Amino acid sequence: MSFNEKIHWAAFVALTSAFGWYFLAYPWQIVGTRAGVAAAADMLLPVTIIIIGAMSLTAAFFAIRAPKEAHLKDDERERTIHMRGTHLAYYPLVLGVWANLFAIFYQLSAAVHLNLLIATVVVAELVRVGSQLYFYRRGY
Amino acid sequence: MARLPFTNDIRTLRFMAGEMTQAELGDRVGVTRQTIAAIEQGKYSPSLEVAFRIAHVFGKPLEAVFQWESGTD
Repeated sequence: MSFNEKIHWAAFVALTSAFGWYFLAYPWQIVGTRAGVAAAADMLLPVTIIIIGAMSLTAAFFAIRAPKEAHLKDDERERTIHMRGTHLAYYPLVLGVWANLFAIFYQLSAAVHLNLLIATVVVAELVRVGSQLYFYRRGY
Repeated sequence: MARLPFTNDIRTLRFMAGEMTQAELGDRVGVTRQTIAAIEQGKYSPSLEVAFRIAHVFGKPLEAVFQWESGTD
């Protein structure tokens, strides 16, 4: 397994666990109020710290174990994999933007918009990282 | 997964080049070991440049490394 693939696995696990916790623990009963935004902000802080921390630790761990691999530049296959993953992530991103536009028409609360945007980014990232992992496993 | 319309003799050529490893070939071509493995297994179709580089490492013409499968379009 290449260094990039290991980092992708770490990103996938970190994203799933951190945002899984966020969406499960979010106090949905106050999503329609002003406090819903503050709650999201409070919860996003630990989520961000967990993701950055987990990614940095994983990258450092694998870089120390195999420094040569960590310094390798992406080759054409890896660039293709990254491009295809990013392309696939574009679709949930567009769907999320449209969902937000409809939320504006229905005059939903700011916290609903915020959570919808967070969900859009998370789903797009999971599609990107997940599809890239699939392509890594498949060979391209 | 769609099968590539060509095969390759990289494994044999590596063997004949003193059991050259995939990592060594990757270093000389400028790609990762995983990419050489994917090309060798027919999972990844390399660019023309990488194909020529692989052939160049073995000192062979391109068609001695990659062969178009007869019967494919």
